[in-house]
Amino acid sequence: MSSLYERVGGEKAVDAAVDLFYRTVLADGRIARFFEGVNMEEQVAKQKAFLTMAFGGPANYTGKDMRKAHERLVAKGLNDSHVDAVLEDLSRTLRQLGVGEKEVQEVAALADSVRNDVLNR
Amino acid sequence: MTLLTYREAAIEIEPGEDVLSALLRAEIDAPHSCRSGVCQSCMHRAVDGKPPAAAQQGLSEAQKALGYFLACRCVPDTPLTIVPAREAEGRSEAFVRSIDRLSGEVVRLRLEHGADFAYRPGQFLELITHDGLGRHYSIASLPQEDPYVELHIRLHTGGRMSQFIAEELAPGSRLHIAGPLGTCIYEGVDPDQPMALIGSGTGLAPLLGVLRDALKRGHRGPIRLYHGAREREGLYLHDHLEALTETHANLSYVPRVLNESGHQGGDVAAAALEHEDALSRTAFFLCGGEKLVGRLKRDLYLKGVSLKQMRSDAFLPAGAGR
Repeated sequence: MSSLYERVGGEKAVDAAVDLFYRTVLADGRIARFFEGVNMEEQVAKQKAFLTMAFGGPANYTGKDMRKAHERLVAKGLNDSHVDAVLEDLSRTLRQLGVGEKEVQEVAALADSVRNDVLNR
Repeated sequence: MTLLTYREAAIEIEPGEDVLSALLRAEIDAPHSCRSGVCQSCMHRAVDGKPPAAAQQGLSEAQKALGYFLACRCVPDTPLTIVPAREAEGRSEAFVRSIDRLSGEVVRLRLEHGADFAYRPGQFLELITHDGLGRHYSIASLPQEDPYVELHIRLHTGGRMSQFIAEELAPGSRLHIAGPLGTCIYEGVDPDQPMALIGSGTGLAPLLGVLRDALKRGHRGPIRLYHGAREREGLYLHDHLEALTETHANLSYVPRVLNESGHQGGDVAAAALEHEDALSRTAFFLCGGEKLVGRLKRDLYLKGVSLKQMRSDAFLPAGAGR
């Protein structure tokens, strides 16, 4: 059986998803404030790396990176409810792109697996 | 032969090894994260030599033209001299050619520089005084035509550099410049594509550079230049730009004065967001204060404009870098 990354559509799917996902997140009033003042080009590149990881693709994201990248946001009040919002936005993005429900669940589970690193606990 | 030079130092690199691995092995604390060419944390710039195409995948046309590349994807086959992405390389002498007031707050500084300082209009440089005080300013001149670099400098009450410029600089004064840096240049634009140049205050300097570069290169698509200022006096090139629209049929100039009502009154970002309609086809150039640039970029992005279509230069407060 092919890998999740292949089934979702690989790098092309990541490219298609990244702008849609980032726009959804930026327009999401629950979490938009965490993206204020960030460099958008850098942010898109990071979103792409995140999606590659969540799609089960070739990414060398480590827990340490995740912790360091979100330290500042945790200090600003980032908590479980915000991670939930991101996961919800991610699932919505994937459904909009016609990704199958089984794969949506798998991606959500992979994304959720870094929750504790993101929240630095 | 040395295949890899980092700043001034030769770095040992194995055959087939990528630049990031070589830097890390040499105990250089190079930023990195995904190590698979996606996150762009390990971006560097080649100041000598040409990075392989595979190392520039995913970068903008401007970044590619200026030698930016991803160290984790870069296996050099020809010699490269590299610096971190945001580091201005080199420092050279420059002499004041002229210094003129364009408005109560804005000074136009023209500097003569050596042949080793090569730039693209719209980039910025660091201006350094004999005391070592440095500030970033964008470049409005066109290297093919102007035997000087032109900077538009807003004087801030109480600012150290402002005071130095207003009180000490005169034709003939010697300074240093470093750089250039910045990717807000006319590159990767189709000659028939609409262009929207949007800026406020001395954000007009890089926009003027880009505009002149575009016209020089024969850009045929419509070009709309939006310039915003707080007071009317801040439209410091109003007459010059009006005159330019007379000789270039594809150019229009849209001035906006924040503290004014009437047809030229109001916020420049709002005017641009309202007027621009060919969003998916337009090349955007956004220059000025970080708030304005950030807001425009976000709003345009949410309206469906891709980041690749936008080039920007956001001015940060002194000392914060860019």
